[in-house]
Amino acid sequence: MIGYFIGIIILLLVFLAYFMPALGVLLNGGEIIKTLNFGSHSVFQGINAVIDPISAFFILIILVMGIISMVYAKGYLKPYVAQGKNINYHIMFFVTLVLSMLAVVTCQNALFFIVCWEIMSLSSFFLVIFENDKKEILDAGVKYLVFMHISVLFIIVVFAILSIKSGSYDFASFAPILKSNRHFADVIFLLAFIGFGIKSGFVPFHNWLPDAHPAAPSHVSAIMSGVMIKTGVYGILRIISLIGAPSKFIAYFVLIISLITALYGVLYAISQNDFKRMLAYSSIENMGIIGIGLGVGLLGLAYNQPVVALLGFTGSALHTLNHSIFKELLFFAAGNIYIKTHTKNMEALGGLIKTMPCTAGFCLLASLAICALPPLNGFISEVMIYFGLFKGLEINVFSNFIILAFAIASLALVGTMAILCFTKAFSVIFLGNPRDTRMLRPENDCDIFMLAPMGVLSIMALIIGLFPQYVVKMLSLPVFHVVSAFHVQNPAVMQTTKTLSKLMFEQAVFLQTLCFIALALLICIGLLMFLKLSLYKKIEKAETWGCGYNKADYNAQYTASSYVSPFLSMLKPLFKNVFNIEKPKKIFPSSAHFSVQIEDIEEAYLIKPVLKFDEWFLSKFEKLQDGNLQAYIKYGLIFLAIVLISVILGSILL
Amino acid sequence: MINFLNTIFSIFALLFLPFVMVGIIKKTKAFWGGRKGPSIFQPLYDFIKLLKKDSVISNSTSFIFKLAPLVTIVCTVFAGLFAPLITGSAIINIEMGLIIFAYILGLNKFFALISAMDTGSSFEGMGASREACFTAIVEPAFFMIIASIMAISHNFTFDSLSKIIQNMGNYGVLICIFAVLALFLMVLIEGCRVPVDDPATHLELTMIHEVMILDNSGFDLAMLTYAASMKMLLISSLIVKIIIPDGTPYYPIYYLAAILLISIIIGTIESSMARIRMSHVFEFIFIMSSFALVILSLTAVRVFGG
Repeated sequence: MIGYFIGIIILLLVFLAYFMPALGVLLNGGEIIKTLNFGSHSVFQGINAVIDPISAFFILIILVMGIISMVYAKGYLKPYVAQGKNINYHIMFFVTLVLSMLAVVTCQNALFFIVCWEIMSLSSFFLVIFENDKKEILDAGVKYLVFMHISVLFIIVVFAILSIKSGSYDFASFAPILKSNRHFADVIFLLAFIGFGIKSGFVPFHNWLPDAHPAAPSHVSAIMSGVMIKTGVYGILRIISLIGAPSKFIAYFVLIISLITALYGVLYAISQNDFKRMLAYSSIENMGIIGIGLGVGLLGLAYNQPVVALLGFTGSALHTLNHSIFKELLFFAAGNIYIKTHTKNMEALGGLIKTMPCTAGFCLLASLAICALPPLNGFISEVMIYFGLFKGLEINVFSNFIILAFAIASLALVGTMAILCFTKAFSVIFLGNPRDTRMLRPENDCDIFMLAPMGVLSIMALIIGLFPQYVVKMLSLPVFHVVSAFHVQNPAVMQTTKTLSKLMFEQAVFLQTLCFIALALLICIGLLMFLKLSLYKKIEKAETWGCGYNKADYNAQYTASSYVSPFLSMLKPLFKNVFNIEKPKKIFPSSAHFSVQIEDIEEAYLIKPVLKFDEWFLSKFEKLQDGNLQAYIKYGLIFLAIVLISVILGSILL
Repeated sequence: MINFLNTIFSIFALLFLPFVMVGIIKKTKAFWGGRKGPSIFQPLYDFIKLLKKDSVISNSTSFIFKLAPLVTIVCTVFAGLFAPLITGSAIINIEMGLIIFAYILGLNKFFALISAMDTGSSFEGMGASREACFTAIVEPAFFMIIASIMAISHNFTFDSLSKIIQNMGNYGVLICIFAVLALFLMVLIEGCRVPVDDPATHLELTMIHEVMILDNSGFDLAMLTYAASMKMLLISSLIVKIIIPDGTPYYPIYYLAAILLISIIIGTIESSMARIRMSHVFEFIFIMSSFALVILSLTAVRVFGG
């Protein structure tokens, strides 16, 4: 455990060093710039580490969520420590991940950014393969590593082009080139969006997420899903603030991709029976919602509608924060369940609320928040995004009108599908009776190290939900930073934007109403509860009414798959079902087996065929490598001959 | 002062009218069936009777089951604060009232679903599963209709509903017709009436809403049925808002007449047709989505087609 203590001390020191400056920048504006020098002749010279409002916002998320996950890790790793597993490396990589994320959001130097980005990807890879004795976990880890390197490839291309054009690695020097050429900026943004989008899990680049999250231990999935994938959003925001005036093309592109992402994510979340896999898909959905906010903000910038831009970016930033809160909470709940029952399969669970009431309560809160229901935090951010979408309808352009109308309907669809998804998860895991009698039944709830972080996160979710006006006010500076990058040359527009943002954030009548309604709602429910408890004391207990049939047992309950089957049966073409059936044979069947797995269509119809083709194509060259030394010398000779001939031909022809 | 009185009046109507609405539907059904039928205040008497009773709850339930009826009724009343009621405007008439209205009803639905699953009964699971599925189809259509209407009037409160004709002339009439039809379908779906669901029979495999409250009794059952009828009133009020122009003198009387008419129509539909087979209910609900698309294209044509 000594490694753990060293780790938490390092994190606490970092927390102390970063927290106050970041909070100061977030509340009061300004920038903190430190220039680092590594040797006089190296390329790492004069690197600017900048905390501006955008960085400050992300720094606070990383710090708070990092510490909370670290505390949770103590409880989660306890059984592994008891088995004699060495967790020191794991803790080391965890601390490295948090530190590298901090570096990513502060450094303003392209080369250094890529180095930190790579450290972040690698350390998270080692965190994912914590249980590296299992083959499927190693497979998932390798898949993650491959995807991350495709991602970093795009980012390198972006920064390489920009650095060559500007002759400097500093972010600030990129802005003039991007602003001078609109089409060039579009191409750069597309490349950057693919690079950062792979990290964030935008469809169709999401494929690593549903495999990596279930494989990783819960505190790692929590920090990866809650914080790390947000660095992709940071990257996109940073590029937007450099570009300044985005084109309409970019705005529509982001909006449409995000809509597809949100719908795709929630659809597959509904279909999953593995709790953590479901949460991974739900992360994809929420990245989609964040992206919709970004898209609305970009539309506002592109059509010069500051209100729409402010609403879109605020909604998006707030949802980034909210998602990191409730997704960590849900992954912690998943961890508690896994530690207690050793399964991630929802179908086998049921009735856990009786023995694990605290976990169940926190999970309920998080489920309400992720479904964007009042009075919790998810509702606030989604309302802001809706507000932006509705205000955006006023832009009198045909394509805009149609796309936004569909976006509103899709967001509503995503919301109701999220309700379907999380009522399924919550009720199948925690409610009813156990669905599989062979499963381990927990006798008590988890220990305080696992529950306390969840409590803290729940309080954060409630506070944001109940007092949105203060939190939204805190976001005004980062949002303004992104929006104002556009208006720097035009002081008049800048001034109106400033007044508008003052109106929106400081008076915030709408948010005050929300606050009032949320409080009143809770008070009314509390009063009614009090009334009910004091008036109706006599409650009789009986068996569940089985319509006259009193032998119905746990087998008759609705399961996760049956709960969602009416909905999924409508959307059959969007799934690929892999059935695994062993039919009962003979008169007295000895064994029978049925299972169904729903495979991602992108994986089934796009990635797998490509891989198959790749394998087939490369296998044609297998014969070349037959282990025969003479053959290799022959290849060398052929190669030399080709080089010789081409040199001679070249000298004759040129 | 007038404002205060209006609020009291609205809240009273919101709390009292659901009983009458269900009473009128039952009376209409009795009329078509050739019976005398109970008084239109019978649902109120039933409610009071249920409040006096003790309750029996299942062994497999948890605190969710006890909490859910309270959340359901409080949420429905709060949603009512944002909907245009008897005075013609919502009690809290703010921009984006629609979103708050829909999402508070969403909270209501979330608890209704998990409370049904809490009993571990196969019937209630079935009801919950279907209810969740229907909502997922209805809600996007509802949002699309309201969004298109709000977009043209540049007004993001529910007041925009009554300005359709004023803002859109001849197209407005068409949009009104489709919007009223779509919202009426929504009343049938969300209010769990025939042909989607049959509130008159218990314990059938085809039930949706009624089967979800199979294990509730006493106070809980009273709250749940009350909330269900109140939700029907809320959505009907949106229809009334569309068909009666703002500023009509004696608005409350027109409102009551319109609610009466809607109740009679619902009762007549229930007496004249059977519920649809479960596998065809989806097709019925998709009619609402297609109406939403029609409204969207009509508005687009009006705004951009000249």
